[in-house]
Amino acid sequence: MTAAARAIPAPRARRRRFKPERALLHAFLITISIAWLVPLLYALYTALRPVSDTIQHGYVSLPSSLTLDNFINVWSLAKLPYYYLNTLIVVIPAVILALFLASLVAFAVSKFSFRFNLLLLMMFTAGNLLPPQVIIVPLYWLYLAIPLPSLVSLPFVGLFPSDNGLLYDQYVGIILIHVVFQTGFCTFVLSNYMRTISKELTEAALVDGAGVWTIYRKVILPLTTPALAALATLEFTWIYNDFFWALLLMKTGDKRPITSALNNLQGAFFVNNNLLAAGALLAAIPTVIVFIALQRQFVRGLTLGATKG
Amino acid sequence: MAASSGDNPGGAPLPDVAAAQVSRRSVLKGMAGIAGAAGVSAFLAACGAGATTAPSSGGGVPAGSPAGGGAASPAGSARGTGQVTVGSNNSDPAPHKGMDLINQAFTKTTGIQVKMNTVDHNTFQDQITSYLQGTPDDDFLWFSGYRMRFFADQGLVTPIDDVWSSVKSNFTSAFATAVTGNDGKVYGIPIDYYPWAVFYRKSVFQQHNYQIPTTWDDLITLSQKMQKDGLIPFAFGDKDGWPAMGTFDILDLRLNGYDFHVALLTGKQKWTDPKVTTVFEQWKKLLPYCDSQFAGLTWQQSADKLIQKKAGMYLLGLFVSQEFTAAGSPSDLADLDFFAFPDLGTQYDAEKALDAPIDVIMMSAKSRSLQQDMNNAKAYLEFWSKGSTQLLMFQQGTGLIPTANDTDTSGYTALDKKAVQIVSQAKKITQFLDRDSRPDFAGANGMQSFLAKFLANPNQDLPTLQSQIQNFWDSLPPAS
Repeated sequence: MTAAARAIPAPRARRRRFKPERALLHAFLITISIAWLVPLLYALYTALRPVSDTIQHGYVSLPSSLTLDNFINVWSLAKLPYYYLNTLIVVIPAVILALFLASLVAFAVSKFSFRFNLLLLMMFTAGNLLPPQVIIVPLYWLYLAIPLPSLVSLPFVGLFPSDNGLLYDQYVGIILIHVVFQTGFCTFVLSNYMRTISKELTEAALVDGAGVWTIYRKVILPLTTPALAALATLEFTWIYNDFFWALLLMKTGDKRPITSALNNLQGAFFVNNNLLAAGALLAAIPTVIVFIALQRQFVRGLTLGATKG
Repeated sequence: MAASSGDNPGGAPLPDVAAAQVSRRSVLKGMAGIAGAAGVSAFLAACGAGATTAPSSGGGVPAGSPAGGGAASPAGSARGTGQVTVGSNNSDPAPHKGMDLINQAFTKTTGIQVKMNTVDHNTFQDQITSYLQGTPDDDFLWFSGYRMRFFADQGLVTPIDDVWSSVKSNFTSAFATAVTGNDGKVYGIPIDYYPWAVFYRKSVFQQHNYQIPTTWDDLITLSQKMQKDGLIPFAFGDKDGWPAMGTFDILDLRLNGYDFHVALLTGKQKWTDPKVTTVFEQWKKLLPYCDSQFAGLTWQQSADKLIQKKAGMYLLGLFVSQEFTAAGSPSDLADLDFFAFPDLGTQYDAEKALDAPIDVIMMSAKSRSLQQDMNNAKAYLEFWSKGSTQLLMFQQGTGLIPTANDTDTSGYTALDKKAVQIVSQAKKITQFLDRDSRPDFAGANGMQSFLAKFLANPNQDLPTLQSQIQNFWDSLPPAS
């Protein structure tokens, strides 16, 4: 897209002054964008062909027919709407909760100075360095050992009552683990952003008699909205694409997210790759939509925290 | 269709075996206070209940239940109550539909609800250890052989001798061996199997006037002819690592026999044994006739070469028929045939041994609902032992053959019948290398990579490779 957008004014520029470096640049950009698009277009092409056609003639061949049958079939066979919903049940609370908690920590470490300020931020940031894979075994047993019914009365957890009395195999468990692992990164980014908000603003609010909560809620949070939006986009994409935690901490196939719906299409031996390609394309759509809708925040999100205040 | 024949008590030989189990149990239970005739009527009611109305079954069950005691009486005590949870790895559309049909038939017959937990095949396999230690379902689908005994030894599955004793007449002794654990107890009900053999297209053999090879020399001569005719003699794809194991298995079975093969895979023989060298040496002679692009091909892509008549033969499991079915032309499927791997001129040729992996359904040990569902879980296992149940799955075109003796074979294709025949003629049956050995040994870090290493350079120093394999085996933690 960037390449195409830049290509339009190019002829005008050439009329004025032709630069060989520029031609080289565009040749490079076009090559790279094609290289990025080929797998996607190839998947689309495969998804449009019936499996019998590719078996008889191979994948690298001209189609005898192109249909949308694979898309229609995979929609119902893989129960895609059902698994989209499963994913949303996890993603939306996880993103909101992670951002909320992270903004609280970030507020505290960036706007107040106390002895363990830096240490606290370091601990949250260090959490990012810990690969989640190293703690899967204790985590698995922890989840099996934590009873959930006592928590059901809590407002949030109560929305998802445990059907086995455990944290294991529950949406709540998956949401919590996402929150735990994403809070570190969110805290890091948000605290850096909040540091850029000038101290005079909070001091002025303090003089006007605002308490800590009011400062957070009425002064800092509204100013942090761009950072929150950018993080929300990133977090949505990350949690949406996650397969690992649901695989580890859930047993029930019907509760698993959209990423597992694709695996369900693979048999013990036979795999209908054309159907799988159609399913993969459909499963990728929500992240594409989120990206297009929040593109500006997304790009800004990449540079967030790059300049430390 | 098959479900309705199973429900009908009057329906000739098919339901008899199943009926016998139910009646014997019902009678035993009914003995306490009720005469034999009442027991029979109880059985009739229990058996026909699915097809008729609930009250009639209600009349039958109370006759047995007061005397229920600790004995499992699936059809009786479970009537209309409770549920059973079932872990299934049949996630792809066709077998998933088969599971649904079977569960519906089960609920219709017994009144027990089935709560199925479907997890995709690969994930299920990868997670089986943590699954069985965590909160497994009451019953679950798995493999027979070493992989079954592995978990039986750890106490993660419940022995089901009582169920087996009432259904074992419906299975051959080969199946009985396959579901028996190291402690002599039975841990599973066999539900289907498929043989490994050399597949070919009849029309290709006719066109070139090829003969089915019965000896090694015949096979090599035929391969040379095929090469002259522009065919790849053996389709071969090992991108996923496991297909090459099939070739190793059959060569080892023919050259060194069943006993050595099984001992080798369970660590009782050494991989450094010169007998193993002979297997690799023999394989080297076959490799010039195998598809040279094997390293980048999946089994499906290799099967496509057979379908497209670019390759002449393919050593693979019966599931190759799924690719022929998916190719969309019934004539292709009808053209598919196979023959047993040729004799190699050793004393072990007479064993006619082959890989014929058997799938089983088992009962877990750590399921938190098992105590409550015990009878239902047993009833579900019993239900799977019927030919009519297994047929529901077979009819979805899974390419897997039912195990029960009372299966209605009228719907079998010529290929299916031949598959039954080749397995029944085999004096020894193995389960495939990765099911006959430790999972961590057979996996991608173990045998898969060693075989890939051999295939990448067949002329390497074989004893060195063999000692690497043995070292790997020795480095594994002791199996519990």
